[in-house]
Amino acid sequence: MTIVRTQRRWGILAVAILGLTVAACGNPSTTTTSSTIKVGILTTCGGPFAAFEQESFSGAKYALVQNAGGHSQGTGPEDGVSGATVAGHPISISFGCSDATPDKALAEARRLIQNVGVDILLGPLSGDEGIAIANYAKQQPNKTFVNGTSGAQQTTLSVKAPNFFRFGGDGAQWLAGLGKYAYNTLKWRNVAILGEDYSYPWTQAAGFIGEFCPAGGKISKRIWIPLGTTDWASAVAQLPSNIDGFLLLTGGTDTVAVEKDYANSGGNLATHMLGGSSVMDPTSFTVGSPLNGLAGGSPVPLGSTDPAWTSYVNGLESVYPATPKGSLAGSLFTGLYYNGMNAIIQGLKQVNGDLSGNQSKFQQALAGLSLSTPNGTVTLDSNRNAIITNYVVQILTQSDGSLGFKTIQTVPNVNQTFNGYFGPTSAPSRDSPSC
Amino acid sequence: MSLRRLQAELSHRLAGALALLVLFFSIAWVLIRALGLFGGTGNLPQFIVVTLNGITLAGLYFIVASGFTLIFGLMRVVNMAHGSLYLLGGYLAFRLVQQQALNYWLALVLAAIAIGVVGLLMQQIFLRWNQGQDLRQALITIALSVVLADQMIPLFGAEAVTTTPPSGLGGSIGLGISGVRYPTFRLVVLGLALLIGFGLWFGIKNTRFGMIIRAGVDDRAMTSALGINVQLVFAVTFFIGALLAGLGGVLGGTMIALAPGQDASFLLSSLVVVIVGGMGSLAGAVIGALALGLVDQLSGVYLPTGYTNFSILLTFALLVFVLAVRPTGLFGRR
Amino acid sequence: MKLTGLAGWLWLKRIGLAGVGVIVVLVPQLFSTFTASAIGLQTLVLGIAAASLIFLNAVVGMVSLAQTALYGIAGYTVAKLAVEQGVDPWVAALIAVLITVVVALLFGALASRSEGIYFLMITLASAVIAYYFFSQVSAFGSHEGINGVAPPALLGKPFVDPTGMYYTALICSLLLYGLIVYVRRTPFGYALQGVRDEPVRMRTLGFNVPMLRMAAFGFGALIASIAGVLLVWYNSNVSPGAIDLTRTIDLLTIAVIGGLGRIEGAWIGALLFTIVQTYSPQYTDRFETLIGLTFLAVVLASPGGLAGIAIGLDRWVRRRLGEGLERHGPGQGRADAG
Repeated sequence: MTIVRTQRRWGILAVAILGLTVAACGNPSTTTTSSTIKVGILTTCGGPFAAFEQESFSGAKYALVQNAGGHSQGTGPEDGVSGATVAGHPISISFGCSDATPDKALAEARRLIQNVGVDILLGPLSGDEGIAIANYAKQQPNKTFVNGTSGAQQTTLSVKAPNFFRFGGDGAQWLAGLGKYAYNTLKWRNVAILGEDYSYPWTQAAGFIGEFCPAGGKISKRIWIPLGTTDWASAVAQLPSNIDGFLLLTGGTDTVAVEKDYANSGGNLATHMLGGSSVMDPTSFTVGSPLNGLAGGSPVPLGSTDPAWTSYVNGLESVYPATPKGSLAGSLFTGLYYNGMNAIIQGLKQVNGDLSGNQSKFQQALAGLSLSTPNGTVTLDSNRNAIITNYVVQILTQSDGSLGFKTIQTVPNVNQTFNGYFGPTSAPSRDSPSC
Repeated sequence: MSLRRLQAELSHRLAGALALLVLFFSIAWVLIRALGLFGGTGNLPQFIVVTLNGITLAGLYFIVASGFTLIFGLMRVVNMAHGSLYLLGGYLAFRLVQQQALNYWLALVLAAIAIGVVGLLMQQIFLRWNQGQDLRQALITIALSVVLADQMIPLFGAEAVTTTPPSGLGGSIGLGISGVRYPTFRLVVLGLALLIGFGLWFGIKNTRFGMIIRAGVDDRAMTSALGINVQLVFAVTFFIGALLAGLGGVLGGTMIALAPGQDASFLLSSLVVVIVGGMGSLAGAVIGALALGLVDQLSGVYLPTGYTNFSILLTFALLVFVLAVRPTGLFGRR
Repeated sequence: MKLTGLAGWLWLKRIGLAGVGVIVVLVPQLFSTFTASAIGLQTLVLGIAAASLIFLNAVVGMVSLAQTALYGIAGYTVAKLAVEQGVDPWVAALIAVLITVVVALLFGALASRSEGIYFLMITLASAVIAYYFFSQVSAFGSHEGINGVAPPALLGKPFVDPTGMYYTALICSLLLYGLIVYVRRTPFGYALQGVRDEPVRMRTLGFNVPMLRMAAFGFGALIASIAGVLLVWYNSNVSPGAIDLTRTIDLLTIAVIGGLGRIEGAWIGALLFTIVQTYSPQYTDRFETLIGLTFLAVVLASPGGLAGIAIGLDRWVRRRLGEGLERHGPGQGRADAG
């Protein structure tokens, strides 16, 4: 009986607490100074890509610190930025947090646009989210959407929302140079592709095939493993024995699982594997020394000695001294969110922060922007997708024994269609483009 | 009435026969593809490696699922936080090995015991006072798993990490068949799984505590009426069950990798293992783990071309299939 | 004096309920577009989905985690028919509901032989199967899902003006609520409650218990499929992410917070959940923890959920105000179903 009593009292307490929660959350603050420009940053803080939240935030915030006079309120990527202004307009930022599903990305985008009232949305992070957001952008023509790192081809090849801008390129562009590197430098002729079974790895494979096959190479097997597979051992076992090497297109846990299993079975990662852009990420360094010498494609010149890149890295790391060196700067998510925010700042500067007329002036400015970034100068094509410089980078053991990157090739002027190889109807899939 | 029973009996038999047929057909299919019979090109070394992968993965599944089934068998508690305990155990050992530079085996023992204690606390605080309300207990553990999963992200980071195996076990060994090499640590996991399986079987069969557990599984009320301290037995069982999850996490974190989401996948695999094998049965866990591990690894390789993307569905098809034939699992009883 | 107090309380309750009713009806007029759609509309839709779960528990004693899978089947059907075949949205919706119910009956035939916690686990497994099925089959758009689903023209564009969608969801909610209450009182409903309480006795009495369970599961699927159709119209897309394990647990959370024993609880739980889920991310990244802790608190403290608490509160006040020794009110409920 006493137990029952206690339970009821607990229950009432719970109701009271919940009531307070409702009351506290019911009135979102929507006060604005008329001249304040609101920017929303949408990334992932849950789900399979939760690890990239810090990286993408740090990039976007560092752009505000460096180019809009903002101050980081702390020493980590999670701390806010205050005092940023562009052409006299204070910039206020709000954050959206997805779990890499289109649903959640859409819900957060709607909250940011319709409830918080942001003028410009920077994001999202992953491919499927991007397609959903670009579709949503069509219904919000008086807002501006600047892509984060979402890399699906269709977003700008077939959806083509007029107010959706992508300064980082797509997943296929991020592998430009790697196909030729495999053919010409490594002398590979017969290659297998091993990757996760969804649109982003398919897109990356398309970028590799787009160079490797016209050059005369052959893809003898494509192994696509469903997302959510824990043990990748048998995926590795399916690699044919007569190939020159394989291209790995995975992220996070799956990358680590494959690299470990391949190395543990006596394979040599440096000579027999190439990595996709998500494979070339410091999060895989937990695998250790077998990674030494592994090369892959990346839209950012990881480990480059180019002054534009080194000053970016040094600046970033001085703003976020608490984070281990290399972990932020070594990520394409940091770099591309940084570029996206910079594009917003440059565009706003050109129009003096004037967002009137359904942001049409601002959007025109963005479309015509020639953005100088740590990874080269970026311009947009007629679909508002970037023409980028891409890089072949390599993981190397540094003098202190830790792992780091080195840029070994630079590929300028990479456009989305690979000079006509891809078009609006040629969406990459499990077995297309053929080879 | 009797007609309906006859009908039920008949459909049951039919389903059983169908099950056997499908099983034979799949084995035949795999062998034909693997050995290259009837004019195909076989690949024996690949078959050996993939089968070994299946068996070693089954070892890992067994270690995790045996803890799950032990707890369920005795206490009727479906611990939906079992996967969270797995992941937490893996992370603890990772920290101890990589950051404190502790000896691997010591870290393994410490992490497993720590998870045992976490499980014990969970049982004492949240589950002890509502014994018998199995649904409510399942809901409580689901809530706990949501909180644990979310809290492990800031505590251990969201990126994938992997524990370095003890020196000498990190490489591969030759199998002596056409130059095939195989990762040593996977075989270590298999060995440990056999050891644990044997230990559990021996313990349950021959010790006094095991006798009490068997009695408790058969008739809980009678066992407590005999003056046995059931609460103590429950506490110890939950400790061991959680410890096994933690141990699995340490081994899994070394053999594969640790990341958010692994908690859910190992909870699901434990569920499949014990539903297929029969809830509460150790022998069932062995068979269930083997079935799941082999289907998991073989299906990706041997499904007909163009259908390999359905491999992940096949493990669940296995489950539906077993349930259709035997609703209580292969070794289950009501 | 005591009597007046009681009457006052009853009046207060009536006025309160009427007030809530007025607010619910006037949501599109009273609140911003965003609140009306992201809170109001979403609450109604999730509430319908949760109601299917609560119906199965409260009436038949089956806790099903397959409801997200079922609404996913309906959602995918409607999206595929409308986007790829150009079928009229209303017709597509009707076909989607039919297909979902048929699938549910087939699945029910298999799963209804299991009870209690077994049933929970089997439905959990089936939810995961549905997730992997839709994420692997290219015809359903793999991980990307199907984009660009437009609701019937009558309902307008939910992103721009949610009014039409809101009233549709409200009417659906009310109709389904009425339907559940009605079914409960039919001979079929009583038979189901018999199955819940005394399956063995029901079998002895000559009822076909698995068949009854299967039929109940089909009825639950009917409710869930309507939620699925509305959800896809509201989101204008469907992807495997809408039916993953997180969403499955979310739906269970809604049902538990609202109260597993009372149908009304579905919408109460959905409202609280939607508010927390929509607004808490701007304060903390760890809002899942918040939701998990709420879930935990409700399961530990009040297995009847918020609906149970409200009824308990009402009864407590009435007892305080001197109502007679009424013991077994309808709200005594099978809240925990344990």
